[in-house]
Amino acid sequence: MRKVEPSRLRAFLASVRLSLLLFLADPQWVIPATIAPVIFGFAAFELYQGSGATLVLYAILGAGMMSMWGQTLYGAGWATGQDRELGTLEPTLSTPTSYLWVVFGRIVVNAVTGLVGGLVVFAVVSFAYPHPLPLHAPVEFVLLFAFVLVTLASVGLVLSAVYVYTRYAGFINNFGEFGFYIITGSMFPVVLLPFWTSPIALLLPPTWALDALRYASLPGYAGFGWGFTGDILGAVGTMLVYLAAAGSVYHRVEQHVLTVGNLQEY
Amino acid sequence: MVDAAISVRQLTRVYSSRKGFLFNEVTRTEALRGVDLEIAPGELFGLLGPNGAGKTTLAKILSTLLLPSSGSARVLGLDVVRDAPRLRSRIGLVLGGERGLYYRVSGRENLRYFADLYGIPRAERESRITEMLERVGLGAAGDQRVEEYSRGMKQKLHLARGLLHQPELLFLDEPTIGLDPKSARETRKFVRALLSEGVTIFLTTHYMFEAEELCQRIAVLSKGKIVATDSVAGLRQLVGGDRTFEIDGYGFEDAELARLKALAGVSRVVTEEFGPRLRITLRVQSPELELDRVARALPGHPELEVRERRTALEDIYLDLVEEEPA
Repeated sequence: MRKVEPSRLRAFLASVRLSLLLFLADPQWVIPATIAPVIFGFAAFELYQGSGATLVLYAILGAGMMSMWGQTLYGAGWATGQDRELGTLEPTLSTPTSYLWVVFGRIVVNAVTGLVGGLVVFAVVSFAYPHPLPLHAPVEFVLLFAFVLVTLASVGLVLSAVYVYTRYAGFINNFGEFGFYIITGSMFPVVLLPFWTSPIALLLPPTWALDALRYASLPGYAGFGWGFTGDILGAVGTMLVYLAAAGSVYHRVEQHVLTVGNLQEY
Repeated sequence: MVDAAISVRQLTRVYSSRKGFLFNEVTRTEALRGVDLEIAPGELFGLLGPNGAGKTTLAKILSTLLLPSSGSARVLGLDVVRDAPRLRSRIGLVLGGERGLYYRVSGRENLRYFADLYGIPRAERESRITEMLERVGLGAAGDQRVEEYSRGMKQKLHLARGLLHQPELLFLDEPTIGLDPKSARETRKFVRALLSEGVTIFLTTHYMFEAEELCQRIAVLSKGKIVATDSVAGLRQLVGGDRTFEIDGYGFEDAELARLKALAGVSRVVTEEFGPRLRITLRVQSPELELDRVARALPGHPELEVRERRTALEDIYLDLVEEEPA
């Protein structure tokens, strides 16, 4: 018999491919990926359109972020939950590939569809708003938009381990989702939140990345005291911590589920 | 000496479950209680046992999907706990059933995904998938969505997936459960073909005839312990012979049953009630004991029906499982 060696890249790409196929095969994702962001965007536009272009931009950025985060976390987490439901978690874990790479592939697909959602919001509101949106640095804006997604994915990677850990992860996810919108400053500036939330906010890479994105998009924006560079460093630093933690978290979760023997439960 | 394909020593597995919210009540269930097992390379080994006996638990531990509570298990010379990632590329697992497949994509896509997770070389991947689909009889249905598959087709896809990476050892957990007779027969034929190719097979099943037809050796697992391991012929001797007499009649007295038990060559007497009718089953070791000798031991029963048949694996299994104390 021929001995085979799995590669992480192969597993990652296989996961990306399967996620895309499942995504396209199940039209329910059209709603969170494209329709919901447009509704968020219009709601933000209606609320802020009389307040000037800068506030409109702030609001649609928040709406875009919400859709991206929702798609990243919910989609990635649910993909693992779906493995439980379909009974595919056991066959997947019986392969020599670490499940972390499978989840990573799913998160990337969901993050990209989230990015599409965020861009849909931006495009729709730009079209509907009578004045051009005052993007401070358009190139940096696009790059940072993608960067925010990467930071969201790093958090999603750690949180999706909960779906491997327990079949009740959906409850935890739904509970945490809205808190995350608020804490990271998606909709409201972090400085408006109670003081005790700040340390939590600063532990989340998207908080920093969102602030950097606003520096690049809003003229005269004054965010955290560390400025744009400080935001980038904060985002990269916290993101690296999350990525490093993901490997350890997945190893521990895998050991736990093999101990309790709940892989087949859904 | 050839190393064992599977070697298990004093393996135990305890499940803990919690009930309640504030005041958790922890229930411990011993699924395996000190299992010892040795399986040779190239052997088709069957594991029989009633529901909840621990068959699937043992199969999952040996295939690295569950950690044992104590004891040790080595598969293909590798420890199932410490060497799990290395072992996974050398073993195949077929859990079967309706679940375990991505049903919104085709059978071929399912195999493609798992081929990548097993690291099958890209150059070989498509040809291997096509070959496996043909081999399990899904050649024409490979590009259909799995949700359109029948139960038998899904089972075939499970088999194809389990064999895609050409494992040296295959775990088959009740591979024919729920299949129609034709599909079940095809599956058994396929399993025999794998054996002839040198694949070691660990089969758990509820079906006695399947185990009898396929397995070279059989272990009977009852309440988490192996109560017997041998070939079917060896198990027959263990439970008292390969001849079985069945006596159907009415109103037997205890003294008559005792008389039957005292007959030379009778090793075991089992009774079953079918409404008012009683069936007495005798396990017979001696080739000399004749049916009319048995009938003569029950003189007051003119309506008696006495017949002889070969001791079936089901008889052996029931004898062994019912003997095991709680």
